Amino acid sequence: MPELTYLEAISDGLREEMRHDESVFCLGQDIGSFGGAFKVTEGLADEFGADRMWDTPLAESAIVGAAVGAAVEGMRPIAEMQFADFIACGFDQLVNVAAKMHYRQGLAVPLVVRLPSGGGFSGGPFHSQNPEAWFLQAPGLKVVAPSTPEDAKGLLASAVRDPNPVLYLEHKHLYRRLRGEVAKGRYETPLGEVRVARPGSDLTLVAYGAMVHTALEAVEDLDGARVEVLDLRTLCPLDREGILGSVRKTGKVVVLHEATRSCGVGAEVCALIAEEAFEDLDGPVVRVTAPDVPIPFSPPLESAVLPQVDQVREACRELLEY
Amino acid sequence: MATPTTRPAQLEPQEAATAELTVDDRGELLRYMLLMRATEERALNLYRQGQVPGSYYDGRGQEAVSVGSAFALGPRDRACILHRDLGAHLIRGVTPGRVLAQMMGRLGGVTDGRDGNMHFGDRHLGCVGMVSMLPDMAPVACGLALAFQMRREQRVAMTWFGDGSTANGQWHEAMNVAGIRQLPVVFVLENNQFAYSTPNELEFVRDPVERAAAYGFEGVKVDGNDVEAVFAAAAAACDRARAGGGPTLIQAETMRMHGHGAHDDMSYVPPELFERWANRDPIELFERRLGAEGIETKSIHIAVEDELERETAWALAQPMPDPATATEGVFATEDPVLGDGHAPWSRWAPRAKEGPHA
Amino acid sequence: MGVSVAEGTITAWRKRPGDWIERDETVVEISTDKVETEVPSPAAGRLREVLVEEGATVDVGTLLATLDTAARPGEAHADEHEAEPGERSGVVSPVVRRIAAEHGIDVARLRGSGRRGRVTKKDVLALVNEQGGAGPESAIPAQEGDGGRQRAPAGERLSLMRRQIGEHMVRSLKTAAHCTTVVEADMSAVEAARGRLSYLAFVARAAVASLREHPSLNATIEGEHLTVHSEVHLGVAVSLGEEGLIVPVIRNAHDLSHEGLATRIADVAERARSKRLLPEEVEGGTFTITNPGRFGALLATPIINQPQVAILDLEAVTKRPVVVTDEQGRDSIAVRPMTYLCMSWDHRALDGVLAARFLSSVRRNLESWSG
Repeated sequence: MPELTYLEAISDGLREEMRHDESVFCLGQDIGSFGGAFKVTEGLADEFGADRMWDTPLAESAIVGAAVGAAVEGMRPIAEMQFADFIACGFDQLVNVAAKMHYRQGLAVPLVVRLPSGGGFSGGPFHSQNPEAWFLQAPGLKVVAPSTPEDAKGLLASAVRDPNPVLYLEHKHLYRRLRGEVAKGRYETPLGEVRVARPGSDLTLVAYGAMVHTALEAVEDLDGARVEVLDLRTLCPLDREGILGSVRKTGKVVVLHEATRSCGVGAEVCALIAEEAFEDLDGPVVRVTAPDVPIPFSPPLESAVLPQVDQVREACRELLEY
Repeated sequence: MATPTTRPAQLEPQEAATAELTVDDRGELLRYMLLMRATEERALNLYRQGQVPGSYYDGRGQEAVSVGSAFALGPRDRACILHRDLGAHLIRGVTPGRVLAQMMGRLGGVTDGRDGNMHFGDRHLGCVGMVSMLPDMAPVACGLALAFQMRREQRVAMTWFGDGSTANGQWHEAMNVAGIRQLPVVFVLENNQFAYSTPNELEFVRDPVERAAAYGFEGVKVDGNDVEAVFAAAAAACDRARAGGGPTLIQAETMRMHGHGAHDDMSYVPPELFERWANRDPIELFERRLGAEGIETKSIHIAVEDELERETAWALAQPMPDPATATEGVFATEDPVLGDGHAPWSRWAPRAKEGPHA
Repeated sequence: MGVSVAEGTITAWRKRPGDWIERDETVVEISTDKVETEVPSPAAGRLREVLVEEGATVDVGTLLATLDTAARPGEAHADEHEAEPGERSGVVSPVVRRIAAEHGIDVARLRGSGRRGRVTKKDVLALVNEQGGAGPESAIPAQEGDGGRQRAPAGERLSLMRRQIGEHMVRSLKTAAHCTTVVEADMSAVEAARGRLSYLAFVARAAVASLREHPSLNATIEGEHLTVHSEVHLGVAVSLGEEGLIVPVIRNAHDLSHEGLATRIADVAERARSKRLLPEEVEGGTFTITNPGRFGALLATPIINQPQVAILDLEAVTKRPVVVTDEQGRDSIAVRPMTYLCMSWDHRALDGVLAARFLSSVRRNLESWSG
């Protein structure tokens, strides 16, 4: 199997989907012959033409809205937000039009919105956010957050085939830093299934996206403790049984995410565990997250806000000793 | 950076526009306007009788806009219809009974109680239902048109909005995108003089139709209370779109003759303004013209009254939805797509007379 | 090894007292006439004491060493570190509470390996694995032949509640001279009056009234001492489903009307099911009623709730054809809601005549019910 970067895996996935199905097309700012702000779509306009790689004007509402219209008419659009942060400008179309479409009138909206997310590179308050929790309060949207090149391609394929609007969070920090084996051709990684990134029995460490790698590094050598690292992969729908199964085994849970703390994915996972696995808990549920602040620009400030390996290690150690 | 996407896709040659109405067509225009008004009057009564929960909105006085424009649509065209435009739904094939059931939150309504009042679109009839944020359907209509354009299909997306929507950013984004890609979309602006209580002069300085030129497409202003004038503008716009000539913005001047909702007493409307429009009722204007040409309309009135009695009885016989189903259907498990709508204009015959419940 | 192995020699201790041992980690090497083998530890803990020296030959089954499973890794040796009583964590996590309850382990008596001596899930599971929860100290027995005397897979241990019920019931059967008397009662009058109330409240009221007439059934017996009570503290058996049952006591039941009894029964039943009964609410009963009747059984021989002398059982009320005699003495067959009132009583405390009189009194109260 060829080894690809996380970014190349996404590009490869886009190419496979567009080859596989003529109704698949991309739209977004600078995604055409320029190849996108991060060059994820580089070369695609050459292969598929400018019509299917639409360089839109700077208009997030029109991008999402037009994608919704095309999707209900049988196309399978993949919209790119230049940064995940910019989805706020197209939010109304997403949460009011797309999310409620099937519930209200039984129409499928097979739409993917790609969201380059996450910080760690001095992107500042408008280029570093992890907005996943915004969508979890809008029933009708699905949310995925791949952590590996293999999943980046497989989850993209599933997102494109899914008949619902799917937010696809691709972590910018992983784009060129992470390499991994990726199968050639089309394959799908099912939505709603966790991945055991590392098996263990003493503690469950739940993460997704780039934080899966922070988690793995943190527990690599933790006084011999056997920590299970769960990669959520899909944030909606959550793999409830996958999470609960691990917790029932270990009795101790740390939830880790880069997004801010309150009402985040971690809060939902912790609540699920408290409701469904209370009698399996052997210690308090613990969250390691960014605090409730915007992501600051200056490197020391940003590092202070984003969860670091040592923080995760310490949280696990504390809980293991509890 | 300029790319080929800024140019319209090359379409097949289009047949010449034949926006002509037969006597039967004109009877149909009247019938749909009467049916819209009768249905809305009945719905308002049901609201006052406590049968319609929530609030109630209608399009009193705007019948000519919705009927005249929607009448131009072909079966495979698509529509995102505004809540003032019941006539457009009726033309696409939604029966008055389903509209009433919809307003009463009953099964058999278009959304089976999932959404209320005029917030619906029957996907089986090629309609995408509006949301409360009224400019939102303009970008969606662009997306429908984008699909037609990418697939080289000679089809049109039509959407309606009010004077208030033209002040919103999403409206601009949609116009701009439609212009850039020269999408086959028809925008119908019904200027009914008030966005809730806000008059035109607080929404814009110059008529929005003037902006069409800046977006790079045609803009036409018509008398929104003249159903045939609206139809002629819409038919021309649809033909232009099908021929690859891009979008059209039609500004139809009309007046909302009821409050924003049934709860609104319209105290902000100057009485002389209301009077002026009351003397230009679109149905009366059209009937007077038909009468002058010796066309009989009494039988249409009787037929509409009969139809509405039957439809009302049907609607009242529909059950309320089962509370246990409230959490169902948030996510799609398959790919249901839009179906084709009813197109009563004789140009689309013989399909014209096929109603969905015929 | 095998069934023929009778003895073994300790060739080497891999661990010394005070060492931390993981479960399944080798503790000792043993040599027999058939095989050399390593003995893995049955639990995690600290090796407390070695009882057999290297080179010694002992019989199969001999205790070789003891293991302190309450110790925690990285801590000072157990003998160097006696926990201060105040240092023990009072926190019992939900999973430990559950496992301890399932296996009848008193967590409060233990000192665990968690922070400030908290008993962790690992600690309690180690106990369960070893001794079914008898204590924090585990022993490593010399290995037995694993071919011949392999233990059958253990069934699931009864819950604490089931074991307590069992103990109580067996003790009662062993203690009391059980005898059961049955009368049949026509519930027509009650049926007419009860509305939405259950039969139980009416039977309770009838029984309480009869107990005041026949106080020798409202009594407790302990050894050779019988105490007859004037106040009726009525026990009512409440089913907790598969978990078991509990008998909350309604004190001074004679002061209550049938409506009052119905309210109190509903209250204690609800609190029993939600585990909110106070300890004193299940003590001090003088007579008990059990009512499995709503599940359709006709007759039962209940076991007396010690140290009381009788227990009344209300079974199903069913429509049956019965012979009724009118005021002129004419017989006819009528369909009536009938039930059996079954009472087990202790022949040590009373005789059958008294039991029959009492039951007849209850029946009379029910059949002549007038509100």
